[in-house]
Amino acid sequence: MSRIQIEGLTRRFGQVTAVDHVGIDIPDGDFLVLLGPSGCGKSTLLRMIAGLTPPSDGRILLDGRDITHIPPRDRDLAMVFQSYALYPHLTVARNIGFPLRARRRPRTEIDSRVETVTRVLGLGELLTRRPRELSGGQRQRVALARALVRDPGAFLLDEPLSNLDATLRTATRAELTELHRRLGSTFVHVTHDQVEAMTMATRIAVLNRGRLEQVGTPSEVYDAPATTFVAGFIGSPAMGLLSARLDLVDGGLYARAEGVDLPVGPGDPEDGARQVLVGVRAEHLALVAPSTAPLRGVVRLVENLGSEEVAHCLVGEARLTVRGPRPLGLAAGDSVGLTTDPEHVHLFDPGSGRRLVRTPTPVTAVQS
Amino acid sequence: MTTSRAMTAVLSVGETRRPVLGHAALAVLGVVCIFPIYWLYATSFRAPEDIYSLSPFPWPLSGANYATAFQVLDIGGLLLNTTVMAVGIALGQLLTGLLAGYAFAAWEFRGKQLLYLVFVATWLVPFQVTMIPNYALLSQLGVLNTIAGVVLPSLCSALGVILLRQHMQGFPTELLEAARLDGRGSWATLWTVVVPNLRPALAALGILLFVNAWNEYFWPALVLQRSNAVLQLGLRSFMGSEGNDWGPMMATAGMACLPVLLLYLVLQKQIVNGFVRSGLK
Ligand SMILES: Nc1ncnc2c1ncn2[C@@H]1O[C@H](COP(=O)(O)OP(=O)(O)OP(=O)(O)O)[C@@H](O)[C@H]1O
Ligand SMILES: [Mg+2]
Repeated sequence: MSRIQIEGLTRRFGQVTAVDHVGIDIPDGDFLVLLGPSGCGKSTLLRMIAGLTPPSDGRILLDGRDITHIPPRDRDLAMVFQSYALYPHLTVARNIGFPLRARRRPRTEIDSRVETVTRVLGLGELLTRRPRELSGGQRQRVALARALVRDPGAFLLDEPLSNLDATLRTATRAELTELHRRLGSTFVHVTHDQVEAMTMATRIAVLNRGRLEQVGTPSEVYDAPATTFVAGFIGSPAMGLLSARLDLVDGGLYARAEGVDLPVGPGDPEDGARQVLVGVRAEHLALVAPSTAPLRGVVRLVENLGSEEVAHCLVGEARLTVRGPRPLGLAAGDSVGLTTDPEHVHLFDPGSGRRLVRTPTPVTAVQS
Repeated sequence: MTTSRAMTAVLSVGETRRPVLGHAALAVLGVVCIFPIYWLYATSFRAPEDIYSLSPFPWPLSGANYATAFQVLDIGGLLLNTTVMAVGIALGQLLTGLLAGYAFAAWEFRGKQLLYLVFVATWLVPFQVTMIPNYALLSQLGVLNTIAGVVLPSLCSALGVILLRQHMQGFPTELLEAARLDGRGSWATLWTVVVPNLRPALAALGILLFVNAWNEYFWPALVLQRSNAVLQLGLRSFMGSEGNDWGPMMATAGMACLPVLLLYLVLQKQIVNGFVRSGLK
């Protein structure tokens, strides 16, 4: 049982605000992925939850209990570090048993817990080895075992997969998900890898420059990005964004700019003449004849991904990418016509970068 | 094909010549270093009448100088006293260095930089400056003429603090943090995580401090006015106004060197490791 509530959490290092008023409610059993580019404050946030970095401001609650000023050892949380932080002088077995010995548990209990955990993670043969005699993947498992052995309320993982090669990473990803399913504990997992986030998370929290941009399920974050940052950060290739002006014609809204005349759905008079950013994901764009197309541009580059091709096109001043089965039949320099369904068009406010939602009533900014 | 073979031949000659030259230089240096020690032992084994002989080999071997040394001095007692003193000083300096180095490396506290600078500064203060105040203090404490009096003012060395802080700063912070999360307090972390991983450095530093303390002459001479308290002072018994009694003196000096040499032989690997690492950090 571990619900972690973070309220207005802030951490400043001198002039730098590493984490800026972040609030997330992580229900018990959640697999929350903290996602964001390098330096956005993910580790700092995780370390504040662990108790390793004291917050400048804000509160952390664990199952309703304020733990903001409780020392790490009394928080009932276990952490796996990016470097794994295994004790080099201890064997695998003693590394795993370390947290229990530190808590002065009886010998028999320590032995049986270590035995259970090593069996679960398949570390049986490695028990007498030292960390330097292990491969990266094995070290990662030992670090995980050391966290598991305490049976903590929640697991904090700081980029635990980033030191593994691609194959191992995919396998370990699945294993972690499976472990989470079996234990039902709360996981907070830090990564800058969106594939990791999409595949493992029950919910994703996207951070940018210390601020929380959006919290939601992987599909929410992908299908309805709350800000232009989230739109650009999640999805590969990144969502193309072009600035346009809305026009109301016969109750239908059109986004218009140089080379753009795109229907975006029904609207109200007050939405007319509004400046917006229009975003469409690569897989939602379809090729049509250039002369009558709602989006008209020039192909700059075609990338072959094996099963698919991605064409980077210039529409007006903006870059849009199209993706489809190979061959797309495009070459650099071709004029290209694109279209999409109004329901796949994302609209953002150019000033705040926030998503504009089309309710049955007019287009309005999301209340944040 | 032929040209390339010729090329490799030329290369290999050049490549082997350089190590040969290097080894020759090192060998000369080694001999220069070892010679005084060899001469010390050679002299100690000469018969008393051959003591000024310049023959490189002491022949016939004679134990007479050792016999004289044992007659004049209580070598066993001196050895014991010296060991107690040197071990006491080395352990004391190691412990204070460990605690202070840990605090400087792993903790954040107000005035840390300043305090560290003060520590470094004490290292720069010459011994002669603190000698008289320390002596006066010992006299007031009533520990003059005791081994404790020699050890007490030497319990903390800035060198130990500086070197250990340096080592601990290279120690991964994440390990300390992992120990904190795993439930170890700061004190327990020092002994269960830091110390076991610093063993080579501690061994190297411990030996350095031990050898320093062992070879100390001036301070023990000041505190222990009885000349027969430690080996280094015992050597004085063979210096007379009519000239020095070289044979027994070399025999005693030879015995004084033995523990250090033995220690080095036993812990050679650790010492080298420790110095190599401190060099890399
Ligand atoms: N101890 C510190 N002292 C000063 N600044 C710090 C400290 N720790 C972090 N920062 C700063 O805070 C910001 C966020 O750092 P943080 O390590 O949380 O980023 P991150 O999202 O984990 O990045 P990465 O993906 O590279 O690990 C960075 O600008 C960093 O320079
Ligand atoms: Mg990080």
